[in-house]
Amino acid sequence: MSRALTLGLLVALATALALRCPQLGIRPAHNDEAVNAIKFQGLWEHGSYKYDPNEHHGPSLLYFTEAWGKLTGVPNFQHFDDARFRVVTVIFGLGLILLLPLVADGLGRNATICAAIFTAISPAMVFYSRYYIHEMLLVFFTFLALVAGWRYTRSHKIGWALLAGAAIGLMQATKETFVLTLAAISAAFVLNHIWMRRIEASDAPTKFKLNFTHLLAALAVWLVVAFILFSSFFTNASGPLDAVRTYLPWLHRAGGASPHIHPWNFYLSRLAWFHPDKGPVFSEALILLLAIIGLVVAFTRRGLVGVNANLVRFLAFYTLILTAIYSLLSYKTPWCLLSFWHGTILLAAVGAAALLQWVRPRTMKVAVGILLLTGAAQLAFQAWQAGIVYSADRRNPYVYAQTSPDILNLVAKLDTLARAHPQKYQMLVKVMSPESNYWPLPWYLRQFNNVGWWPEVPTDPFAPVMIVSTQFQAGFDEKKTHLMVGMFELRPQTFFELYVELDLWRDYLRAIKPNPSQP
Amino acid sequence: MIPIQAYPETNSNFRSSRRCISLLLGLTIILGFGFQIDAEDLVALKPKLPAAMFVGTPKDAPAGTSVGPASDKGKPPLMIPKDVKNIAPGKKITTNDTNSSPSVLVKLTDGDKEANDNAVVLLRKGTRWVQFDLGSTHEVFALVIWHAHDTPKVYHDVVVQTADDAEFTKNVHTLFNNDQDNSSGLGVGTDREYFETNEGKTIDAKGGKIRYIRLYSKGNTDSSLNEYTEVEIYGRPQK
Repeated sequence: MSRALTLGLLVALATALALRCPQLGIRPAHNDEAVNAIKFQGLWEHGSYKYDPNEHHGPSLLYFTEAWGKLTGVPNFQHFDDARFRVVTVIFGLGLILLLPLVADGLGRNATICAAIFTAISPAMVFYSRYYIHEMLLVFFTFLALVAGWRYTRSHKIGWALLAGAAIGLMQATKETFVLTLAAISAAFVLNHIWMRRIEASDAPTKFKLNFTHLLAALAVWLVVAFILFSSFFTNASGPLDAVRTYLPWLHRAGGASPHIHPWNFYLSRLAWFHPDKGPVFSEALILLLAIIGLVVAFTRRGLVGVNANLVRFLAFYTLILTAIYSLLSYKTPWCLLSFWHGTILLAAVGAAALLQWVRPRTMKVAVGILLLTGAAQLAFQAWQAGIVYSADRRNPYVYAQTSPDILNLVAKLDTLARAHPQKYQMLVKVMSPESNYWPLPWYLRQFNNVGWWPEVPTDPFAPVMIVSTQFQAGFDEKKTHLMVGMFELRPQTFFELYVELDLWRDYLRAIKPNPSQP
Repeated sequence: MIPIQAYPETNSNFRSSRRCISLLLGLTIILGFGFQIDAEDLVALKPKLPAAMFVGTPKDAPAGTSVGPASDKGKPPLMIPKDVKNIAPGKKITTNDTNSSPSVLVKLTDGDKEANDNAVVLLRKGTRWVQFDLGSTHEVFALVIWHAHDTPKVYHDVVVQTADDAEFTKNVHTLFNNDQDNSSGLGVGTDREYFETNEGKTIDAKGGKIRYIRLYSKGNTDSSLNEYTEVEIYGRPQK
């Protein structure tokens, strides 16, 4: 690696760390993060995990969290909190930068540095690096597969083929949508081949001979890795079969049977220009515009100095196809955009490098450089806004069905109530909400040992503490045995009432210190 | 010969002793049984509670729609005398938020109750109040308060007080207080929290003789800011 490349990567890594690590626990856990955390509890405390083909994606996130917990010497589950879980996805987010030197001979030095910086500062990349869900792992393993594939084409060493196979196995064990990525990779490979043969009439592909032994070995590694993880390390025989069966419910959802149906431009509009009422503008248009230049470069070969045209064109096909697939599927959640957005970032890096190459004279080059740096600084500022300031705010384009910070007030109140109760955290708590719409409360009430969860109002609903969805209009305070001491927002339009037994509330009031500050 | 009477006496003693022994035995058995139950057989009733069900990603609800019926739905309307009218417009309004000027506070009584940005007065986080000086003592029968109702939300520590002086030291009365844990330091409230809706919150002032009114709040479920759209005060000059 050249000194410039090393320096560029170090700056990118430092920036990535600065944007990803501060205040990792500031955003209340999303429903999906909490489900992952509680599922991980089963794995950590009892060694039990069983792949569910209907929901919650693959096992890799939980197993890598377990590895991270053991590596860092976490003594028990109580030491896991929101921030510690999110470190796992931060590591994979940083991994995207660390893999870049392996494709530097294909992208060229300048584009590799730009790719590292754009990955570090893209608000979407920063936001979802701080999100304990499967997406960042999927993007990392995808890039690992691409990088290993690229290295294999350069060296023909079986080790790279095996690594690519393992990476695909990990992709599969991360999220079912890996098939979309795989489809895009395959289609891009074929289209690139056709382009080289027909349009450019190049004989370059003939230089690359496919070694079927290596291919079979890679396939075997893929299957072995997937089998091991889906079978929960040989303890769940139905897991590998479920990994295939899973596509039936997912196809059903993709076809429209889901609350997450959105128009085709859902992702692109969030990335290009997002300006809701009373909110700041979020826009990654700079990356989009540079990616368009990157596409022009890929198909015209203009400005390709020290860059492998085949690799860039492959990336162009891959990104276009994957963007089209995700946009056309009606099932959309905003984190899914990461898969094609990473390809877009790589193309944008090529575009930025080419732009600097094209521009003449030197003064203009400096001006464009300053313009790009200013744009990058603005992106970094947006990333900070998205990750910290607006991390739980619906005016942030990447916030989706996010838990309201108000729920932490409920949790704090419950903690004080438990301390005031003679049985402390053994205190009986009853939670009632239609359609089990109470997540992430099971994660936040994990230290309470006596909590019941109901999707309806049970026959005997009364308990010292009851957390009841406002949809039930319960009125448990009508008999004067309990007080409704407050309403709390779990998510936009999802509210809970907190009912507390009269005597316990008196104890609570005695336990809390009187507010010394008079308004 | 042993006197006959002696026997019954002996017999009586015997029977008495027997009763005592039986009683002691009985008590021992009962107590023993009881202790045995306490020590071995009695356990705290601990019904198995239903576990949390795992669910998928919830729906991302769009902003601005309703969560259900308003908190006051179904309640009969508050009855007030015929000659009572809204006396809030034109009255002097002050606040403990130094960022807000009188020209902004005028929006509280301009008649615009719509859920748009232009109609809303923003006050900083913390316990904030707006105060109305009615100019002279009035008989006040009702207040209707609209905080921001652009999206379903619940305001915390909503307290309505009246007083005879602007500093709220004389004859302070509380008309409404849902600060149940006294976190704003105005006393423990007993009123319920409620959803903000376009109907506002009606508070019964019971025809009290009032000069100054203060409305408190301390953020809401959506943000830590305090917001007001409109306030109406229904009263008439003191007779």
